[in-house]
Amino acid sequence: MNEVNLEEYKIKGYYPTIGIECHVQLKSKTKLFSSVSNDAIGAKPNTLISHICFGLPGALPVLNKEVVRLSSIAAFALGTKPQKFSKFDRKHYFYPDLPKGYQITQLDQPIILGGRVTVSLEDGTTQTINITRAHIEEDAGKSTHPSGADYSLVDLNRAGTPLLEIVSEPEIHSAKQAKAYAKELWLIMKYAGVSDVNLFHGNMRFDVNVSVSKDPKKLGTRSETKNLNSFKSVERAVDYEIKRQIDLLEKGKNIAQETRGWIDDKQKTVGQRSKEDANDYRYFPDPDIPPVTISDQYINDIKRNMPILLGKWRDKLQKQGLNYLQIEALLESNIEFNANFLSLIADSSKEVAEVYTNWILNIEIPLRHKQIESKEPLEITASTRKAIFAGIHELIQQGQLSSNNARLMIIFLLKSSKIPDDFKELAQKLGYIQMSDIGELESLVDQIIKKNPTAVEEVRSGEKKVIGFLVGQVMKESKGQANPAVVKTIITRKIETHES
Amino acid sequence: MQKILTTKDVIALAQLAHIKLSPSQIVQYQKELSEILKYMELLNDVDTRELLPTSQVTGLENVVREDEVQEQLVTPSQLLDGVPRSRDGFIQVKRML
Repeated sequence: MNEVNLEEYKIKGYYPTIGIECHVQLKSKTKLFSSVSNDAIGAKPNTLISHICFGLPGALPVLNKEVVRLSSIAAFALGTKPQKFSKFDRKHYFYPDLPKGYQITQLDQPIILGGRVTVSLEDGTTQTINITRAHIEEDAGKSTHPSGADYSLVDLNRAGTPLLEIVSEPEIHSAKQAKAYAKELWLIMKYAGVSDVNLFHGNMRFDVNVSVSKDPKKLGTRSETKNLNSFKSVERAVDYEIKRQIDLLEKGKNIAQETRGWIDDKQKTVGQRSKEDANDYRYFPDPDIPPVTISDQYINDIKRNMPILLGKWRDKLQKQGLNYLQIEALLESNIEFNANFLSLIADSSKEVAEVYTNWILNIEIPLRHKQIESKEPLEITASTRKAIFAGIHELIQQGQLSSNNARLMIIFLLKSSKIPDDFKELAQKLGYIQMSDIGELESLVDQIIKKNPTAVEEVRSGEKKVIGFLVGQVMKESKGQANPAVVKTIITRKIETHES
Repeated sequence: MQKILTTKDVIALAQLAHIKLSPSQIVQYQKELSEILKYMELLNDVDTRELLPTSQVTGLENVVREDEVQEQLVTPSQLLDGVPRSRDGFIQVKRML
């Protein structure tokens, strides 16, 4: 493990310590204990429910096999392996979104113990945060509180959705690190393929435990800020809590051990309930759910069939010579299509990888966002993209396409999602082919030289930069179809030899 | 008889169970619950040194199902019919916040 220099993180004489719990919604088709669809996005309230979600007397919950498999994959993604024995417990509390009066979770023998997440910060340093544990549990329902009404409304579609709660050791010491950890965990789960990781829909929710202390060896009283659903709010809530707690202590006041909520509009946390008086959850083993044991063979099968994980993708992209920002931008871009283009880049030559990376980051991704906004999302398969990119790249190599026309043609082809039979023919039809015909270009250059005598004089007197201006004029005149490299050669020759 | 629970314990338990107790009931339950706990102390006489912690007694393990949507015994609308109050498909409850 890397040595952490706590002095670096000291603020006004206080050492901040942060631990993060993250609820990851696992992407099974059905709920954790009931064969009801898990896809609550856009569903009408209380349509994805069963006697089990309602906790009716006599209902018998039965564990979803897929959840054990997804959790086992998550274990490897977190740098450990699943526990061969794990069990389920009841955690009791009363709330209208929890009809049973208890949540089924894993207390002392969870599916995952240990693991680690290594985060890299903008300054290039890395830090390893150890994972204490991760356990399977069911989500509660969703409640809304219409303003002005004397009632609340409960929707139980989400009740019983499988979650994996990942608990970090209190080894985080700044708001920046907290944000980096949250983001890294998001990427890890995304590439492990165990969750849809859609933050907007609450597929990953973070709870941050923050405390400050003057003694680096002793932890202060902590507050827990719950249900943060963006990396930015994780960073800001931690920042806010550190400052709030230091202010209180400086005024000689005590920190209350409590649960707080983040109010995004006001960018602050507010106290919700005191933790001590509700802390007796009366856990006991759930008699309805027999323990889970998995064999060595099961574990080995999971390991053998693991997808390419985050770290491996980073290595592959680094080997292609891409820089940190390019790699992170590719990795973070939207989930539905990214794995496709990552292999395209990873499997190309270095030179082509650089070109394709630029096309994806600067052409395809902005286009995708635009198309999603106008409700016409791109539907492109990995093989179609591969063929389009290869065809365009060949035309560029042959000097037939300028980079701007290449961009226009890529947009055209991605939108139509078709591979043309003949790229050159299509480019000609669209008017994108570069003029490399010397005769045609020469007369164009002659026109421009005649129109710009001052610029020509400047070039002759040594202002070589002005050639760029003349090339630009020719490009404009040709409506972008001239080959700029050829144009430059012709202009230089004509001016130097006084041809025109 | 010696009381195992304090009145404070009883009040805390009542809060966790969401029930209101009158002062006389607190005294009554302090006595009754203490007697029950006292009786359960019989268990302390059992020698458990050779036993492993047990969380289940059925001997079952890995009772799991496939991840497939199945038709349910009770339909969502039947379930909703059974709640005391509903509104626009939601379950209506006393204001929480």
